[in-house]
Amino acid sequence: MSRMGVFICWCGANIAETVDCNDVARYAGTLPGVVIARSYKYMCSDPGQRIITDAIKEHKLSGVVVASCSPRMHEQTFRKTAATAGLNPYMLEMANIREHCSWVHTDRKQATEKAKDLVRVLVEKVKRNLPLKEIEIPVTQRVMVVGAGIAGIQAALDIAAADKEVVLVERKPSIGGFMSMLDETFPTLDCSQCILTPRMVDIMQNKNIKLYTYSEVESVDGYIGNFEVKIRQKARNVDMTKCTGCGECWHNCMALNKISIPPKHTVKQKTAPEVVAAVNDIAAKYQDPAGMVIGALQDIQTRFNYLRQDALEYFSERSGVPLSRLYGVARFYSAFSLKPRGKFIIRVCLGTACHLKGSGGIADAVSRELDIGGGETTKDLQFTLERVNCLGACALAPLVTVNGKYHGKMTITKAMRLIDECRAKCEKSVV
Amino acid sequence: MTVATQLRTPDELALMRKRILAARTGKKVSISICAGTGCRAQGSLDLFEEFKRQLEAGGIEDVEVRATGCHGFCEQGPLVVIFPRKIFYKGVGVNDVSAIIEKTVRNGEIVQPLLFKDPVTARRCELEDEVPFYAKQQRIVFRNNGKIDPNHIEDYIAAGGYSALVKALTKMTPEDVCREVDASGLRGRGGGGFPTGRKWDICRKQAGEIKYIICNGDEGDPGAFMDRSIMEGDPHAVLEGMAIGAHAIGSQKGYIYVRAEYPLAVENLSLAIGQAQALGLLGVNILGSGVDFDVEIVRGAGAFVCGEETGLIASIEGDIGTPRQRPPYPAQSGLWGMPTNINNVETWANVPVIIDRGAKWFAGIGTENSKGTKVFSLVGKVRNTGLVEVPMGTTLREIVFDIGGGIQKKRKFKAVQIGGPSGGCIPEALLDLPVDFDKLREVGAMMGSGGLIVMDERTCMVDVAKYFLSFLKDESCGKCVPCREGVFQMNRILSAIVKGKGKEEHIAQLERLAKYVKASSLCQLGATAPNPVLSTLRYFRDEYEAHIRQKKCPAGVCKDLIEFRIDPGVCTGCHLCARDCPTNAVAGERKQPHRINLAACVKCGVCYDICPANAVKTG
Repeated sequence: MSRMGVFICWCGANIAETVDCNDVARYAGTLPGVVIARSYKYMCSDPGQRIITDAIKEHKLSGVVVASCSPRMHEQTFRKTAATAGLNPYMLEMANIREHCSWVHTDRKQATEKAKDLVRVLVEKVKRNLPLKEIEIPVTQRVMVVGAGIAGIQAALDIAAADKEVVLVERKPSIGGFMSMLDETFPTLDCSQCILTPRMVDIMQNKNIKLYTYSEVESVDGYIGNFEVKIRQKARNVDMTKCTGCGECWHNCMALNKISIPPKHTVKQKTAPEVVAAVNDIAAKYQDPAGMVIGALQDIQTRFNYLRQDALEYFSERSGVPLSRLYGVARFYSAFSLKPRGKFIIRVCLGTACHLKGSGGIADAVSRELDIGGGETTKDLQFTLERVNCLGACALAPLVTVNGKYHGKMTITKAMRLIDECRAKCEKSVV
Repeated sequence: MTVATQLRTPDELALMRKRILAARTGKKVSISICAGTGCRAQGSLDLFEEFKRQLEAGGIEDVEVRATGCHGFCEQGPLVVIFPRKIFYKGVGVNDVSAIIEKTVRNGEIVQPLLFKDPVTARRCELEDEVPFYAKQQRIVFRNNGKIDPNHIEDYIAAGGYSALVKALTKMTPEDVCREVDASGLRGRGGGGFPTGRKWDICRKQAGEIKYIICNGDEGDPGAFMDRSIMEGDPHAVLEGMAIGAHAIGSQKGYIYVRAEYPLAVENLSLAIGQAQALGLLGVNILGSGVDFDVEIVRGAGAFVCGEETGLIASIEGDIGTPRQRPPYPAQSGLWGMPTNINNVETWANVPVIIDRGAKWFAGIGTENSKGTKVFSLVGKVRNTGLVEVPMGTTLREIVFDIGGGIQKKRKFKAVQIGGPSGGCIPEALLDLPVDFDKLREVGAMMGSGGLIVMDERTCMVDVAKYFLSFLKDESCGKCVPCREGVFQMNRILSAIVKGKGKEEHIAQLERLAKYVKASSLCQLGATAPNPVLSTLRYFRDEYEAHIRQKKCPAGVCKDLIEFRIDPGVCTGCHLCARDCPTNAVAGERKQPHRINLAACVKCGVCYDICPANAVKTG
């Protein structure tokens, strides 16, 4: 049979102002198993703690509930108090009637009722508590890092530098991850291999790091300090102590590509013949390396109205210019579009002369009319709006071009008329 | 053009020139029709075809018709000039052709309605030289624009073209050429103003067989279009200049980097290169001199930063056009790591004249440290917009008021913005400033490529600064932090100010940021980016303060700080504004004063612009 003690704290006016602490104490005294219930101004003060220790000894209490502030504040205090009186500290719990009750309510009656509920719940909990013992168990000072990309590599090196053992697990046969596929890094355009490769070598040379390549984590069990991990190392029948990473076996393997991501050699089959023919023509035009990339991209765009992915892939393969570079260039220059553009490309010049004469308002009006922003295309692929910085015909300001045709001294009204003319042309072509 | 045979010696070129001139003696009259981008947009190509058709139909054989490069006075286009008298017709339409042929060509009479009327004196000008826009100009770079057909190399040769190249190849050593150009005092027209002769000499002295020459035709400054006009109207002048430079430096290969937005320039330049190659004026062993030089065109793709020379080189190499640290300067290590000389289009076009007429002649034009002429694109709120070429040292007042004819619609002059996004605004008090490289820098602006944008009382200077900073924010390549972040933050502050959310401390913040961005940016784009803000703060601080303190835009531009309303006492009820309002926010019966429903108004300004009675007010 439990013998419970309940102690209600006023916390000065903090709790007592909104909660009738004496009433809560009275109520607690009526709960089954409670042999003593008291309230006091500051339970955490010396006299307050003495009330608890005295009561534990006097009433031979088997459990204590302190209803006061958050356990984050004083749980340690009261558990130590309980221990000095010979009670297992884990047989003491706190009911939070300050942060969870008095501070957040204004109605004294309701707050008091809620405080009673909180106390009742905690009393029932402590009745079911079992005494706990503090024990020490050894912790394995070893860390597993999953994934040996640049982040995993750096983490492993840092941990190893702190003289901890590291197990580094990588799914692929080689470490390095995505960074090993990059040429330069954003935004400094530093050479990515110069950052990555020294760290890859460090991993191999570091005595504290055990590397499992071509392996996957299958399960993680256990708890903090004592995890049990299963790593599945895929079969490869390679004596890793002798392997130099030359790649010969990899390239000659009959089962190649079945168990890892296949290298992309599929472009040729996929590329449509007209794309191949067009790109071949374009590439043949550029004998001089100067201006080749931008010139070819411009021709591809002229031919297909935008930079199609398959055309870029094929051009990259044919010319040897990395696809990443082509995409970098395509995104840097405003003349390129990676999305299909409309049948009518409306360019509103926003050069200084045009700006002074109100081209901003014209661009906004076109935006409103077509419901697209700058650089966007209408859903029906009829119109693209481009806001350009200067078309170099400033004497005609404000200037708008439609598919390269200049329309000078523009006004919003004239621009609307231009759009209507384009729409009429669309309809005609549909009929 | 007939298939040309290669010219093997300078004498063969001279002979060819003689033959072309001889064939022309039969032609009494020559009609030159401007086929620059501006006049094309206004229908000049149709005009050209119509002239040809009617002359043929009328059996008139002693008249030549020419589609020439830009005449400069784009605003009044399409322009037609009738030689030899140089009768100047503006705004010519297809329907005017028969009158011109009948009256002017056959009988030497003037078609009065097509003459230019001086808005200041209301006098009609018969001849080109009488038009005030042309009268004060001195055309050296534009010597051939408007006279020759850019697509016919014969025209250029007949006008004395390629004789400077002959002179350089046969009578001058590379050192001589560098010395001559240096003595002329020619400074780079792209903005920096570095002495051209000295630049060439540095590149000439570099060791190595392979050297490159680049013509920077990436005219990115919004509001400037003289380079376009030269490339379109006189491409051979650029090629000849480059060939002379190649001889001086010892280069065999040249590239012309042309903006993506200039398709006609690419077309005309390609044609010109093809013709020059066919005649042996470009290629191997030019005119038997043993000098090899060829030119190729590289197209840009729309990035302002590629006008910066290291960015441009990266772009030609097929990379993203981000600038890099200098030194090494391109003259030491440029394209593909080889010594490279980059000059702007206008600079190259100056070179043949200097070699032809001598450094002394050229140095006689201009001011002490800025020699020769400069082409400005005079645009904005000025009456006569177009390209003007004046000697260095001409005052702004002469350019804006004498040549430009003053401000449109009788409004008040406020400022001139010169030098594009790197330049600054110059107020009325400094109108008598003689324009040259150094004077402009002293007042906080710069020459830039020569955009000259005139602003009137209805221009908000804070909005102008905001415009340039938002332009630069978009065009910053993002490589260095001061430019990428600094310009971004300056633009953010300016956006707040024009939206009426300006705070008292914003001006000091702008000034502090400007200092850092200027001092620490990697390339000139960043280093000059704060100029528009600094110069407007210097001369128009009161406008900033009005935006910040009173939340008012004195010029009535900043949309968040103004409201449009119609003055019922002035409104004539013509209904034009109601008809054109995109949101139907204007209400009112015809002949009755109208009203603007402010809840529906999107402040687009259509009513403000269209009102014939100036009844729409802002405030």
